[in-house]
Amino acid sequence: MEQYLELSGISKAFPGVQALKDVGFRATGGKVLALLGENGAGKSTLLKILSGDIKPDEGKIVLNGRELSFRSPHDALKSGISVIYQERQLMSAMSVMENIFAGDIPVKNGIVDYKTLKRETKKIIDQFGLPIDPETPVMFLSIAHQQMVEIMKAYRRDSLVIAFDEPTAPLTDTEIEILFNLIRRLKEQGKIILYVSHRLKEIFEVTDEIVVLKDGRFVTHVNTAETNEQDLIKYMVGRDIGDTYANLSRNDKHGDVLLEVNNLTTYAVHDVSFSLRKGEVLGFAGLVGAGRTEVMRAIFGADPIISGEIKLEGKKVEFKTPKDAIDAGIALCPEDRKEQGLVLWRSIEDNIIMPFLDKVRKWPFLDFKKSERVTIEAIKKYDIKTPTIDKIVVELSGGNQQKVILGRWTSSLVNTKLLILDEPTKGIDVGTKAEIYQMVCDLAKEGLGVIFISSELTEVINVADRIIVMKDGTITGEVLREEATEEKVLALAMASN
Amino acid sequence: MDNFTRISTFKKAIRSKAFPLLILFVIMIVLFTALAPLNDANFLTTRTFISILRDLSVPGFLAIGAGCLMVSGGIDLSQATVAAMTGVTIAVSVGWWNLPWYAAVIIALLIALCIGLVNAILVNELNMMPFIATMAMSTVTRAVMMLIATDQTGQMQGSINYNNPTLTLIGNYEIGGFLPATIIAMIIAFIFYGLLLSKTKFGRSVYLIGGNPMAARLAGINSKKTSYILFMNCSLMGGLAGLIYTSRVKQGSLSAMATDQFTGLTAAILGGISFGGGSGGMGGAFIGLLVIKTFNKGMTIIGASSYVTNVLSGALLLAALSFDYYSQRRQRKRIGA
Repeated sequence: MEQYLELSGISKAFPGVQALKDVGFRATGGKVLALLGENGAGKSTLLKILSGDIKPDEGKIVLNGRELSFRSPHDALKSGISVIYQERQLMSAMSVMENIFAGDIPVKNGIVDYKTLKRETKKIIDQFGLPIDPETPVMFLSIAHQQMVEIMKAYRRDSLVIAFDEPTAPLTDTEIEILFNLIRRLKEQGKIILYVSHRLKEIFEVTDEIVVLKDGRFVTHVNTAETNEQDLIKYMVGRDIGDTYANLSRNDKHGDVLLEVNNLTTYAVHDVSFSLRKGEVLGFAGLVGAGRTEVMRAIFGADPIISGEIKLEGKKVEFKTPKDAIDAGIALCPEDRKEQGLVLWRSIEDNIIMPFLDKVRKWPFLDFKKSERVTIEAIKKYDIKTPTIDKIVVELSGGNQQKVILGRWTSSLVNTKLLILDEPTKGIDVGTKAEIYQMVCDLAKEGLGVIFISSELTEVINVADRIIVMKDGTITGEVLREEATEEKVLALAMASN
Repeated sequence: MDNFTRISTFKKAIRSKAFPLLILFVIMIVLFTALAPLNDANFLTTRTFISILRDLSVPGFLAIGAGCLMVSGGIDLSQATVAAMTGVTIAVSVGWWNLPWYAAVIIALLIALCIGLVNAILVNELNMMPFIATMAMSTVTRAVMMLIATDQTGQMQGSINYNNPTLTLIGNYEIGGFLPATIIAMIIAFIFYGLLLSKTKFGRSVYLIGGNPMAARLAGINSKKTSYILFMNCSLMGGLAGLIYTSRVKQGSLSAMATDQFTGLTAAILGGISFGGGSGGMGGAFIGLLVIKTFNKGMTIIGASSYVTNVLSGALLLAALSFDYYSQRRQRKRIGA
C-alpha cells in the first residue's frame, strides 16, 4: 500500500491576516516534497498546523486514510508527524541518547536503564553512519550534528512524516551534503518528507515534487524534474498588481543627498554602501535574515559598527546610542512593532511622546497639556481609531499600532529627516497597507528621506523609488522602480554567490 | 469625532488594581469594629489608626524603594538585609566606637548606597538577573554585618545596644505628644515618590522601561542610568527604614526586619505593581501596606493568635494574587494578546 499524507481545504486566519486559504496537496511515501513560496506565503503556518502547534480554522489532514486532528504537538508526534524546525528543540545540556529517547526513556524497576538506552541509541547512530557518541551532551556537538540528532529523534519515534523547515540555513556545504544523504536514506525507507527552503538550488538537488504557495494560497504542484528556476520564480511571484499602487501619489522631486553609507561592516553585514536623497523612498528587499534590519540598526546606533562611515547631510556622524541618532533626526520603526516598537500596556500618548519626554516638560513635571495636543495631532493626522488618547496600545489593531509609531516620529515635537521603516506592513490588513503606502509617499513629499524595508516584493518595488537588494549581509544589486520586476529582484535576493 | 479626551481620573481609579483593596480595607474596618467588642476591645479609635500607621512607616520606606524599582522591571531581594545592616552599623559606630550620631548615620547610609550601586553594576554591567544578583548581595551583606557585629573578644553579638538620645528621638519623636513624626515622614515620602513616578519625565521613563525595555532603548531612553538610580534608591530606602527601626528599638540587631523582607514587595504587588514591571504606583503600594497592617492590627485587637493571623494573611495574599492573575488573563484573552 502506498503511504500518503493528504491536506485539503486548510485555512487559517490570524487577526488581520488570512495566513492560509483553502490549501491542499498530497505527499506520497518515498518522495521528498518541497514547499516553496515567498516570505509570508504561509509555509511556516502550514508546518505549525502539521506539528499541532496551531489549529486550522478549516480543513482536513489525512494520513493513510485516517483523518487526524491534533489538540497539541504531542498528538501530532503520536500520529507519526515530526517537524524539524530551524530553531532546534533539543535539551542542550542532556546527552545525545537522552535527547533521542526523550519522552520514551527505557526504564527498569523505575530507574533509567542506561545500558539499553545507550545500546539502542548506538544502533540508530550506526544506521545513519554518524560519528556521534551517545553520551555527549548535545551542546558540545556541531550545529549539523545537532540537527542530525533531531532527525534521529524523528526516526526513533518511527515518524512516517518528517518535515524540515529551512534545514540548511545554518549549515556549511559539507554539512549540507551529510544532511542530503540522510534525507535520501529516509526516502529509501519510504518516509513522507516535506522540505521547506528558499534555496532553489537545493530544491532541485534533493526534492522530487514541488508545491508552490503564494499569499496563503496553493499555486501549483509540479514534478521537480519537469520545471526550472525561472518558472518557479514566476509561480512564486505571479499575481496582478492591484490598483493600490496605480493610485499612489508619489514624490518625484528628490533633493540633496541626505544619507551616505560607505563600506559599513558590522558583525552581521559586510561592506554595505548606499546613499539616499531627501524626498526619496529607498526600498530594501531581500529574504528574511539578509541583513537589512542589521544595517538599519547600525545606522541608528543600536548595534556596534566595526568599520565604515555614515554621513548625514554631508557630515560624518557616529551614533553610540539610539538617542544620538534620534537627536540627529533619524527615526526607526522597528521590524517587530510589538517587541521593539511599542510599550504595549501603556497609552497611545505615552507611546507617542516616549522619545521626546525632554520636550514635553514644565518643570518639575511633564507638560500634560502639550503632550495631549501632540497626541491628538497624531491621532487626527493618521486617523488612528481610538476613543481616548490614553487607550493602551495593546487594544489597538496592528494597523493602528503602526500608525502610533509613525505618529511618534512625525509629530511636531521632532524634526525627523530620515525615517527608517522596517517591515511596516507586516501583519496588517490590505486596506491599512494602502493607507501606509500613501503616508510613506506623503512623508517623502514633506522632504523626508525614507528607507522602506519589506519582504513583500510587490510592495517594495511599487512603493520605493529605488530598490536595494541584500543577501547574506551584502548588497547584491540595485534596481530603479521603472525597471524593477519581481523576478529581477527575487533573482538578486536568491543569487548564489 | 473631534474631542479626544482622557479617561476620567475617577474611572481610572475605579479600574485600578488598588480599588478592590480599598473596598477590602473598608470591609475589614467594619468587620473588626463589629468583632472587637467580643474581646472587650475597641477597634475604631484614633489610637488604633495611629498605631497602624506607625507600624507601617518602616515597611513603608521599604515599599517605596522596592516599588519604584519593580515598576521598572527590576527587583531587589537585599533591601531588608541592607536595612538590618544600617541598624547594626549605626549601633556599632555609636555604641562601640563612640562616633557622633550624625557620623554614624552618614556612614550607614553611604554603605546602603554602595550596596545599591553594586547591585546596579551586577545587573547592568555583568547582565546578571536582578533576582540572583541581589540575593547574592544579600548573603554577602549579611556576612559583612556579622563581621561588624563581632566584638573585641571575638564574640558575635546578635544585637548591639547603644545609648544616644538624639538618635533615639528620630524614630520616637511624637508631634504634640501623640503623632509620631515617622508617620509624617513616610507620608511625605509616599507623596514625593508618587508625584515623581506619575508626573515627571523620570517617572514616565521608569514605566516605559518597565513596560518594554527594548522599545524604550530604541526610543532613546537611557535605561541604564534609570536602573542605577532605582537600585541605589531602593537600597537607600532600605537604609532609611533601618535607621528608623534601630532608633525605635535603641539597638542594632542582626535579625532586624527579617519578617519585613517581603512585606514591602507584597504590598507593592498587592497594590498593582506587577513583577513584570510597567504598571502600578505609589498609591497602590500604600494601600497594599495599609491592608496588610490593618489586618494584622485588627486580628491582634480581636484576640486572634498570631499563628492564625499568619495563616490568614498568607491566604489573603494568595487570594489577591489569584484575583490579579485571573483578571489579567481575562484581559489578555479579550485582546487576543
